[in-house]
Amino acid sequence: MKEYNKEILKDAANRLLFDMTDEQYDTLLNEFDIITKQMEIIGKDSLIDDLEPMVFPFECSTSYLREDVPSTPLDKEDAIKNAQNKQEGQIKLPKVVL
Amino acid sequence: MNFEAVIGLEIHVELKTKTKMFSSAPVAFGKEPNSCCMPLDLGFPGTLPTVNKEAVIYGIRVANALHMDIDHELHFDRKNYFYSDLPKGYQITQNLRPIGSNGYVDLNTSNGIKRIEIERIHLEEDTCMQHHFRDYTLLDYNRAGVPLIEIVSRPNIRTGEEAQKYVEKIRSIVVFSDVSDGKMEEGSLRCDVNISLRPYGSDKFGTKVEIKNLNSTKFIQQAIDFEIERQSKLLLQNQTIRQETRRYDEAKRETILMRVKTDAVDYKYFPEPNITPIVLSDEFVNDAIKNCPELADSKINRYINEYSLSEYDASLLVNEKSVSEFFDEAAKLTKSYKLLANWINVDIASVLNKRNISINELNITPKSLVALISLIDSKEISNNQARDIFNKMIETGKDPLTIKNELGITSQISDESAIMELINETLNEFPQSIIDFKEGKSRALGFLVGQIMKKSHGKVNPKITSDLLLKELKER
Amino acid sequence: MKYMNLTIDQLHDLLVNKEVTPLDLAKEAIELAKKDTNNAFEYIMEKEALEIASKLTEPEIDNPLWGIPFAIKDNISTKDVPTTASSNILNGYVPLFNATVVEKLLNKHAVPIGKTTLDELAMGGTGTSGHLGMTYNPYDETHTRLAGGSSCGSAAATSAPIVPFALGSDTGDSIRKPASFVGLVGLKPTWSRISRYGLFPFAPSLDTVGFFTRSVKDCAYLLNVTSGRDENDSTSSTKPVDDYVSLINKPVKGLKIATIRQINNAIKDEEVLKAFNNTIEQLKKEGVIVDEIDLDLNMLASIFPTYFVISCSEATSNNANLDGIKFGPYCEGNTYQEVMFNARTKGFSELIKRRFVFGSYALMRENQQELFLRAQKNRRKIVNAINEILSQYDFIYTIAAPSVAPKKDESSDRLNEEYLIADNHLALGNFAGLPSITIPIGLKNKLPFGANVMARAFEEAKLFQISEKIEQITGLKNLNAKEVK
Repeated sequence: MKEYNKEILKDAANRLLFDMTDEQYDTLLNEFDIITKQMEIIGKDSLIDDLEPMVFPFECSTSYLREDVPSTPLDKEDAIKNAQNKQEGQIKLPKVVL
Repeated sequence: MNFEAVIGLEIHVELKTKTKMFSSAPVAFGKEPNSCCMPLDLGFPGTLPTVNKEAVIYGIRVANALHMDIDHELHFDRKNYFYSDLPKGYQITQNLRPIGSNGYVDLNTSNGIKRIEIERIHLEEDTCMQHHFRDYTLLDYNRAGVPLIEIVSRPNIRTGEEAQKYVEKIRSIVVFSDVSDGKMEEGSLRCDVNISLRPYGSDKFGTKVEIKNLNSTKFIQQAIDFEIERQSKLLLQNQTIRQETRRYDEAKRETILMRVKTDAVDYKYFPEPNITPIVLSDEFVNDAIKNCPELADSKINRYINEYSLSEYDASLLVNEKSVSEFFDEAAKLTKSYKLLANWINVDIASVLNKRNISINELNITPKSLVALISLIDSKEISNNQARDIFNKMIETGKDPLTIKNELGITSQISDESAIMELINETLNEFPQSIIDFKEGKSRALGFLVGQIMKKSHGKVNPKITSDLLLKELKER
Repeated sequence: MKYMNLTIDQLHDLLVNKEVTPLDLAKEAIELAKKDTNNAFEYIMEKEALEIASKLTEPEIDNPLWGIPFAIKDNISTKDVPTTASSNILNGYVPLFNATVVEKLLNKHAVPIGKTTLDELAMGGTGTSGHLGMTYNPYDETHTRLAGGSSCGSAAATSAPIVPFALGSDTGDSIRKPASFVGLVGLKPTWSRISRYGLFPFAPSLDTVGFFTRSVKDCAYLLNVTSGRDENDSTSSTKPVDDYVSLINKPVKGLKIATIRQINNAIKDEEVLKAFNNTIEQLKKEGVIVDEIDLDLNMLASIFPTYFVISCSEATSNNANLDGIKFGPYCEGNTYQEVMFNARTKGFSELIKRRFVFGSYALMRENQQELFLRAQKNRRKIVNAINEILSQYDFIYTIAAPSVAPKKDESSDRLNEEYLIADNHLALGNFAGLPSITIPIGLKNKLPFGANVMARAFEEAKLFQISEKIEQITGLKNLNAKEVK
C-alpha cells in the first residue's frame, strides 16, 4: 500500500476535483491512521486471501438483457432544464482545450 | 542502426443499434441537441444501467469474426475519471472480463500474409459530443451512451501499410456483419495508434507515442510512416523520445504534438455494482453467430468458387458492402456472373465514383441491370447499344426494354438461318463482288456486309453476319 | 391531532367507512409537517398532496394504502419535486422522473406529503450532517438527542407523529438504527427486493429502499406493493412477490433463533439488555428455539472497516456525477475543471469529502489489493459465516443499538479507535443482503430502544411473523413521541 501524508491526501482530493482546509486534512489523516490500522487486522487473516472478492450480496447472475427498442426520450428542454449554464439548447462550459 | 516499429491500435466502433448501450434512448444522428436522451445519459442521480441485448449480439459477432474466445458471462466495470464530456464521472466498460479475447486477423500485404493478433474487444459507452467555439464549449448528450466496441490489437503491427490494411479489415468486418456504419470520416470508427521504435533484434519496448484523431485509413498509414521517420531521426541523434500524444496534420503531412503525457492515469477500475453478471446461454451465443450476415472473405470465396469470378473481380465487389449486396441480389437472377461483375465493377463503379454516391442511390436496381444483361446475352443488342441504354437507365431510372424501344433499337437478327437467307440473296444480286473477293479485294467483304445490313434494316448481328459471309464466300 | 397517530391499518378502516377522507388526512399531515420542530422536512409537497388527495373519492377496500399520507426520504427521486439528498451540491435539482418505489405507491393512491432530511447524501449515521443541520429526536423536547441517521427526517416524521409511514434507505443501518432511537418499526428488505431505480446511490451493492412504520403489519402491507421486478433496475429480483401479511399471527412454535454472544456481551446498558432478554424468554415460552451462539470477535470488529472501505469506495464513484454542470448550482471558472472543482468544493461538506478521499484512495491501483479487494474478500468471509448460521437458524436476533438515542455531543461522525461491537453489526444485513427489521422493545426514561431480526434472503414473510410476535410480547405497537411524552 502507498504511504500517505497530507500532500498525498490533498493530491487525492484535488484529483476528485475538490479541496479542503488544512485542519480538515489533519482530521482526515487521523482517520486514515485509524481505518488503515483496522484494515491491518483483517490483513493478518491469511485465510481470506483465497476468497473471491464479493461484489454482490448473494449469487444473483441473470440472463436478462434489455430489448433494443427505443423509449420516448426526454423532451430536449427538459433534459437540460436543471443545468444553469446553457445556450442554444445545449449545456455551456468554458472552452474545453483539447 | 535500423529500427523496428512496434505499433498497436485501439479502434472504437460505434454500433448501429436502435438504443443506447445502457439506456433505451434512441440512437440517432443529426437530431436536435439533447433530444435523444434518457435520464441515465445525463447522469441524473438514481438512474441505473440496463444492458442492450442487440449490442451484446453485435459484440459476439465481431468477436467471432476476429476468431476470439467469447466470454459466456458478461461483466462490466467502472472506469473512473473526470472529463467535461463524461456525464456520470465514470464510464461503464469491460476491464477484467472483455466479451472477446485472444483473436487475430490475417492481412494480405505486399510481403504476403501477415497475422495481426488482437488482445481483446469490449463493450462500452460513448461520451457526449462537445462543440467547441472560440471561448466556450457546448455539450450535446445525444451521443452520450451510444454503444461502442473497442478493439485492442497486440503491438505486432510493424508498418504504416500493415496498420492501414488492419483498419480496412476491421472496417470490412464491422460493416459486413452489420454492426456499424464504420465511417471513419464521420467518427463511427475511430482509431488511436500507439507507436514506439526499438533496434532490430531487441525485445524491449521503446517509449510509446500516441497518435489521435486519424480519420481515414490513408492518414493512418501516412501518420505512422511519418512518425517512424521522426522517431528514427531522434534516436539516431541520440535524443530520447518523449511520451506524448500527437495528432496528424493532413495538410502538412506530419504529426504534431498535442500534449506531453505525465504519469499514467489511474482509472480506479472496479466492478460495476449496478449490473449483475449476465449469463449468455450457448444458444444465445450460437444464434448471434449464426445470424451474422456473410463477411467479405466468405463472399470472395463464394464468388470465386461458385461463380468462377477472378480473385480480382471478387475482391472489387466486396470493397463496399452495398455493392456486394447488389451483386448478390442480381446474381440470383442471372447466370452471367462474369458479365454482371464487369458491369458492376466497371460501368457502375465509374458512375459511383464520378457522382460520389452509393449504389443504393443509383437509378438502377439489380433487376434492371440483369434485364440489360439478358439483352446482351441473347445478342438482341450490341455492346454499344447496351452502353447507350445503360446511360439512359442512369438518367431516367426506366427499365432497359422501355429505353430500347424509346431509342428505336430493334432487336438484332441473330438467327443463323435467317441471316444465311439474306446472305444468299445478296450474293446472288452481286456476283461481281464474289469475284472481287476471290481476287483479294478486301473492300468486297465490307460492301457485302453493308448490303446485307441494308436489306435487314440494320437488324442483323454484324459479327455473326460477317463470320457466316466469310464462310460462304470461301465455299463458293 | 386526530388521525396521524394511527397505523395504516386503522386509517384504512376509517377511510373505507368514510369516517375520514384522504383530503382530511393529507391536510392534517401537511399541517403537522408545517409545525414540525424536529427539522424533519426538506420540502413539504402541499400543492401536490392536496391535488392527489382531492381526487381520491371512492375508497378501495382491498387497497390498504389508498389515501394514506406518507413522507419520502430526500434521496429518493420525485418528479417535479426538488430532491437534494440534503446536500448543497443538489440545491435546486428538480428530478424529471419518479423513483420506482414512489411510482408504485402513487399507483396505489398513497399520498406523498413531503421530502425528509437525511445525513448528506445518506452518508452518515447521526442525522446531523445534512445541509439543514441536525434533525432532532421527537422523544426529546430539549433537542439534544439524535434521531439517528441517515434516514433521520423519515424517522422523526413517522415517530413525531406526522405521517403513518415514510420511505427510507439503508446502506449500513440507515433505517434500522434510527428506528431504534425513535421507537419505530424499520425494515430493510432483501437486497434487490425493491427496485433501487430513483434511489440516489451511496453504495449500490449495499443500498436498499425500505420504510418506517408504527407496526409490523403496516410494514408487510408496504412490502406487498413496493417489491418486485423492475426493468429499470436490472439488479431487481425476478423472484415472485409473496403475500407478506400471510404469516402474521401464525404460531411461531418451532422457529429457530440465534443470538450472538459477543454482541450480547457488548451491551453495557442493563435496561436494554434486560428488555432484550425478556423478549427472548417470552419467545421461548411461545415455543421458539433460541440459542446463543459464538461469532469470532475479530470478525465482528472487522465489520466496520469492511463496511467503511466498500461503501466509501463505491460512493466516491457514484457521486462523481455531481459537478454543477448538468444539475445543481453552477460555479464559474476559467476551465471546465475549475467549474467542477468549485462546485464540488462548495457543494460537499467536510465529512463527505473525507469519505470520498478515503474511498478513492482505497480504489487506487497500488492500494486496491490491500484495501478495496481485501474488504470485499472479508465481506465474503463474514457473509459465509452469517449464512452458515442461517443454515441452522431461521433468524439472527440482536439488539438494534447498544443504548437509547445518544445526545449530539456524545456522538460523532469522526472515526473512533474503539471497536464498537454492538454498534455496527446491523451492516451484516447489508453485506449478505438479508431482510432485517428493527422493532421497539422498550423505553428507558421515556426514550425508546429496539431490537433487530434478520432472516434468510427473501424470507420477509417469516421475518414479519416473528417480529409481529415480538411486537405482541412487548405491547409496543404504534409508539409515537407525543403519546409517550
